[in-house]
Amino acid sequence: MQQVFSIPKSIKENMRYTFCPGCDHGIAIRLVAELLDEMGLQEKTISATSIGCSVFLYDFLDIDCVEAPHGRALASATGIKRVRPDKFVFTYQGDGDLASIGLAETMHTAFRGERVSAIMINNTTYGMTGGQHGPTTMMGQITTTSPTGRNREYYGYPVKMAEQLALCDGTAFSARVALDSIPHINEAKKAIKKAFQVQLDGTGFGFVEILSTCPTNWHMTPEQAHEHVRTKMVETFPLGVFKDITK
Amino acid sequence: MENKNWKAENSEKVLIKGNYAIAQAAINAGCEAYFGYPITPQTEIGEYLSAKMQELGRGYVCAESELAAINMVMGAVSTGAKAMTSSSSCAVALMQEALSYASANELPVVLVNVMRAGPGLGYIYPAQGDYNQAVTGGGNGDYKIIVLAPSTVQECIDYTYRAFYLAQKYRNPVIMLADGLLGQMMEPATFGNYPYPEVDTSQWALTGAKDRTSRAIYSCAPDEKKQIQRIYDLFKKFDVITENETSYEEFETEDADIILTAFGSMTRNIKAAMKVLREKGLKVGCFRPITLNPFPTKKIAELAQNVKNFIVVEMNMGQMFKDVKCAVNGLTKIDLINRPCGEWLSVEEIVSSVEKILEKNYAASV
Amino acid sequence: MEKNFILAGFGGQGILLAGTILANAFMLDGKNVTWYPCYGAEMRGGTVNCEIVVSDSEVSSVHKQDTDYALVLNQQSFDKFVNRVKSGGTIIANSTLVAKTEPRDDIKYVFAPMGDIANSLGTSKVTNSAALGVLASVCGIVSKDAIESALEKVLGEKKKELIPLNIKALEEGYNNLLQVS
Repeated sequence: MQQVFSIPKSIKENMRYTFCPGCDHGIAIRLVAELLDEMGLQEKTISATSIGCSVFLYDFLDIDCVEAPHGRALASATGIKRVRPDKFVFTYQGDGDLASIGLAETMHTAFRGERVSAIMINNTTYGMTGGQHGPTTMMGQITTTSPTGRNREYYGYPVKMAEQLALCDGTAFSARVALDSIPHINEAKKAIKKAFQVQLDGTGFGFVEILSTCPTNWHMTPEQAHEHVRTKMVETFPLGVFKDITK
Repeated sequence: MENKNWKAENSEKVLIKGNYAIAQAAINAGCEAYFGYPITPQTEIGEYLSAKMQELGRGYVCAESELAAINMVMGAVSTGAKAMTSSSSCAVALMQEALSYASANELPVVLVNVMRAGPGLGYIYPAQGDYNQAVTGGGNGDYKIIVLAPSTVQECIDYTYRAFYLAQKYRNPVIMLADGLLGQMMEPATFGNYPYPEVDTSQWALTGAKDRTSRAIYSCAPDEKKQIQRIYDLFKKFDVITENETSYEEFETEDADIILTAFGSMTRNIKAAMKVLREKGLKVGCFRPITLNPFPTKKIAELAQNVKNFIVVEMNMGQMFKDVKCAVNGLTKIDLINRPCGEWLSVEEIVSSVEKILEKNYAASV
Repeated sequence: MEKNFILAGFGGQGILLAGTILANAFMLDGKNVTWYPCYGAEMRGGTVNCEIVVSDSEVSSVHKQDTDYALVLNQQSFDKFVNRVKSGGTIIANSTLVAKTEPRDDIKYVFAPMGDIANSLGTSKVTNSAALGVLASVCGIVSKDAIESALEKVLGEKKKELIPLNIKALEEGYNNLLQVS
């Protein structure tokens, strides 16, 4: 009998799954793990981890990791890459980590064209602390700190990282993907692969923003949450490749 | 681990600025990367290294902030590499979060603080106002950092070497606390070779999970018991550091009634003041902590048993004073001669202040 | 023996360089020495000074209240440092830019036209070297040869072509007819 599906080698054995039901972190981490396997990167990977729900990366991935304070993962990643340029270095961060508290580190990593890759989970809220308004919260979205919905007067506008990073000279690849359907998941995997490949080729900074669900804080079922990504989130955060200098 | 046998450029005597001495010593120590952001009076360290590190094919990043700089160091040293940053006072304040993380994660971060005057932006006058910032720190939680305080340009070199060695030996952040005077002054010094053995980091450094299980370095501790144990372990480690690495210098303390105490470049001035006071017939000695953390508490307590008066001389509002007072623990009198920042207390000022203190304390007998 | 020197002038007059050369000369003579700069906020035009302490034993303190010798290249520096000279000490002034006044009677004054010496060699840029020559002849604790070696060492390969002119200025300063009172 042929085995057609298994847990990727880069996922830790006996890992305990701690994300909420319907959360897309699981799919995103699996895609990363599959690519580490397929691209033969597991043994040469060093990751700088982030703070928030994404903090538990080291519980899932069987790779070397060092914890960075909130927002500073790409600074630590830069440090690793500059002394160990032969290693594969990536970060896996939430939107609060990468686009709010760590925005300066993110932008400057891209400006410098640092040979590292970054994945940002965009779920439009601070998940771990219980669903507060964050940099990517959509206009009108109700959170625990935007009780009447995000409005221009008090909160301004959401940050669109994939577009912003595409403007940086040092960015080799920037894309936004979603995980709400099989075709989109396949697209997402292709994009992450590209963001990894530009690092390996020494082309520049690789970035993928993943639209992701947070059913718990959105107060939705997993199905409703994916429907929300499909119909509402993509209006604010259109999917696509915003920069690919390899083309 | 790659064992690179770094050689000092030369060992002839050169007249060199403290900042350049620190930078060249870092190169000799095998520092593989420097990350920094400009701030006076330590900018020459980054300037010097920007050229040298590129020449040598080592890492250099002109970081976007001090926050980024020290986090770059954390990433770099997690791989077993030697790396450093340097900064000054108000900007070292931005690094306190990272120092707490680096302590918790046992990362051998090396940070050089060439102090300027605070609080706030202050100015570039020399000062010693970051004693507390270095020794007790501004990061969260219980943690301890090794702090070395040089008093000459030669010691800037020697202690930079030592900082890299101790950081890796104990997997603990090390701060070298210099001041603007040391950073800007020139003095003859020799570099010699990096005098310490290379520390084996192969048991913990991140190199990629090849032929071994993966390693994760983190402080996040959802398990309460583990968190408690971690802190006990860190403090146990620091007990060992205290036992092995506490270091100080004493001058003419054998027969001393009065001991002048200072750290860093103020040491020079108290030694000169001691000579003047001795000529006046007063039995004065000097004591100078080299490691501000671990602090030579035991030695001070021992000296306090035979001394009438400790006098702490420092360029701040009495930050080391409270540690000396703690060590003296009521055994003898203790006084402070200080100025918040700016022109170093001159030998003459110290001498006259000591005389005033003695008059106040021993009006009848002296 | 411990002596200290303050060298002062406009930013751009090469005061810090002159101080570096003097400190190197002391080092080459086998002395302990410290050099400590003080800048104005301006990169050019503000007053700049550096303090050099030379000692047979360990230098007692890098920065002192008063000085054995003050070498001043402009009027502002003369006015500022004349009161920092120790009683019995010496102020050595560039008479090209400093008026010959003697506000105190407990110190020695040396006025030498360092700027004119430099100009006669074709450039005011070697005023600092002429000043070092004057200083060497006045203080007598550093030899002209040591300053020459230090000058060669400090200017080095990169500025090798400037060495002969600076040495000329140094010699002219050293041999200048001194007006000592």
